[in-house]
Amino acid sequence: MIRVVVKRLLVGVLVMWGAASLIFVIVRVAPGDPATLMLGPDAPPDQVRELTATLGLDRPMPLQYLSYLGDVVQLRFGDSYLFNRPAMAEVFERMPATAELMLASTTIAVIAGLALGLLAGGRPGGLLDRVVSGGTIALQSFPTFWTGIMLILIFALALRVLPSAGTGTPAHLVLPAITLALPFTATVARLTRTSVAETMHEQYIRTARSKGLTERQVLLGHALRNSLIPVVTIIGLHMGGLMGGAVVVENVFAWPGVGTLVVESVANRDYTVVQAATFLVAGIVMAFNLAADLVYSQLDPRIRMESAA
Amino acid sequence: MTRSPASGKAWRAAVGLALAAALALTGCSTTSGGGGGSGKSEITVAGTYPIQNLDPASPSGGSNTGTQLVAQELFSRLVRVRPDGTVEGDLATEWKANATASEYTFTLRKDVKFSDGSPLTADDVVASFKRLLDLKSTNAANFTDYTMTAPSPDQVVLKATKPDAAILRKLSIFYVIPAKVTGEDPDFFKSPVGSGPFKLEKFDPSGSVALVPNANYYAGVPKLDRVTFRTMPELAARMTALRTGEADLIWGIPDDQLSQVKSDSNLTVETVQSTAVFTMWFNSSEPALRDAKVRRALWQAVDFPTIIKQLYPETGSLADSPVSPVTLGYVKQQPVSYDPTAAKAALTAAGFDFGKKLRLQFANAEFRPFNQAIVSDLQKIGVQVDLLEKEQAVFTKDLLALNWDVNFQQLSNPTYDAANTLGRLYTCKAKRNGYCNPELDKLLAAAAASPDEKERTRLYGEASKIIWSDAVGMFPMAVKYAYAWNKRLTGFTPDPAGLPDLAKVQVSSS
Repeated sequence: MIRVVVKRLLVGVLVMWGAASLIFVIVRVAPGDPATLMLGPDAPPDQVRELTATLGLDRPMPLQYLSYLGDVVQLRFGDSYLFNRPAMAEVFERMPATAELMLASTTIAVIAGLALGLLAGGRPGGLLDRVVSGGTIALQSFPTFWTGIMLILIFALALRVLPSAGTGTPAHLVLPAITLALPFTATVARLTRTSVAETMHEQYIRTARSKGLTERQVLLGHALRNSLIPVVTIIGLHMGGLMGGAVVVENVFAWPGVGTLVVESVANRDYTVVQAATFLVAGIVMAFNLAADLVYSQLDPRIRMESAA
Repeated sequence: MTRSPASGKAWRAAVGLALAAALALTGCSTTSGGGGGSGKSEITVAGTYPIQNLDPASPSGGSNTGTQLVAQELFSRLVRVRPDGTVEGDLATEWKANATASEYTFTLRKDVKFSDGSPLTADDVVASFKRLLDLKSTNAANFTDYTMTAPSPDQVVLKATKPDAAILRKLSIFYVIPAKVTGEDPDFFKSPVGSGPFKLEKFDPSGSVALVPNANYYAGVPKLDRVTFRTMPELAARMTALRTGEADLIWGIPDDQLSQVKSDSNLTVETVQSTAVFTMWFNSSEPALRDAKVRRALWQAVDFPTIIKQLYPETGSLADSPVSPVTLGYVKQQPVSYDPTAAKAALTAAGFDFGKKLRLQFANAEFRPFNQAIVSDLQKIGVQVDLLEKEQAVFTKDLLALNWDVNFQQLSNPTYDAANTLGRLYTCKAKRNGYCNPELDKLLAAAAASPDEKERTRLYGEASKIIWSDAVGMFPMAVKYAYAWNKRLTGFTPDPAGLPDLAKVQVSSS
């Protein structure tokens, strides 16, 4: 087990190198340069050249890359052109807000998704099953920015029970968290529904019933536990998707997280911040995937990580 | 219909989980709809602009509207421009130019103090100017090689390298900070000391700035207890925040949303003629567009009055000059009438190649319908146009490389002086639109050098006439900015440059 984890971590280092290199190339291949954007189109060319040199962007690309890799190894990403302070510090400062949003939305998605999945899977083909199945398709189909705006109009403007945007109180978290959670809720619900429906026909469920266990014990102790396996996997895999969704949701709700930071930084070609944010997010997604694998093997003893097989 | 034991249990378990989910939500929520503007004398301003740093002289802050918006509340300037376009003293009580408009002497207001209580002196002004030039922001480019000295404790002298009559309005973006601050000093701007009406209470680059009154402000302590600027990129969120009372002031409201805010009895809505003009340059260096007759015919082929009436009924009016009516140098020109038949005949006579597609570039989705309407009108006379909506960075790169045939921009003018638009963008040296006319260059140089404002206006009028009749571009629309604010605010004046001053705003007790 430990050998497998170490092996996965080594692969992770390669993945991080790949992510860091890819983003280095992507931001530089994108048209437009930071100096012109910072100074505006009316800046004299010599001023633009001087700022380009100050930012170190006048050096040959391979040299920039080597120096960048050297810094990445030391977890240094340089100063943000826009914020005039270390890029990673800026990202770290925004990360708690994004983490808060992701944690809240994952909690909502898992709880609501499991509940809906149990409702639908407990009686496949029933009315509830059809409502939940149809509803989850709809939830997955709505674009996140549209859902967000609709929730603002309903709960902030029409009902006036929640703030429309920003941060500061727990109430501010509700609408963005729900917006981000909705498509994920649908995924969890559909997966749970299928899993529960299948599990309820397994022989061990019949055995459990024949042992005299109550239906509640059967459902929660046997069916639900086994139904959780794919759900745990999807949570791990969905972290990347949630980060992507957070970019949109944070902008709609003026939520001061990494998403808004990345959007601002990409628009302004603030390379250092984009690189730092991508690196950190790649690391987080990788960690979640690894954690999902480990939990997966713990939940289902039949599954052994490759070394144990 | 009966329910099996399994589904009954499943139901109960599901309801339990659903309740848990609901608790997870409601446990961390309140029913309060309001956030900002909570106190009697506190207001919240919601804007689209991110405010990433507070240094208006830094390269990134110099061209950032959000930074300038806050800077004018934190720091004083020698002079500033009133909403009507005239210049008023801020730190300077009077000023005088020499006969050639190359040297300006400013007399400083006495007994001005910074927010920390220390006196503001001529040395602070001189050091701030030097710092502005050293940091080489886009604003510094207005004063390349200019020098400032302090011949006496209450005077500063600004010397230009050439006659520059626009200096006063250019100085409206020069802010004074303590002399001890040199170079980029991020630590200072975490807790800046200025002599403006407010001082910083809290700055969160992720989206909000809170200001409180500066008790040492020379013109009297502002009546507001706190001003919070919140960045809200999404229009729907800004509009909702205004209507729910979470925000007290927003602007830049599009026409299709104005009726909503107007119907709200708690809000005041006003439009103000801005310094901005929709400007659609033709790339005169392109063979197809070299002939002024071709450019003029293309202008004639678009029914701008109808397009404006349909899309901008309240915030647009047909432009009659390349600069806004609130700008120094504005002189009304003869409107170009819509006549597609005459336009097609003129294009045919000029040998225009109808098979060639023109590339019309713009940035920002808000301008898409306007440009689509133009493309549609041009197609009616057989002119083919590729409409290219570009991301800002790509747009700027292509703009400077003249990689376009027609370029759409909303050109605003924070200095309210035609020198900043006509003088800067239409000279041969500027190479901004492929147009070069030595006669125009002479007029613009003379206008920039004359200390007499009437003479400058006359000269800019002559220059505008050339730009207009040669159709260097199409100048379809003069832009108004729509402001909406909560009626509890009094003393607020909408600003034509989109940089409203809040020093005189109050919150009414009723």
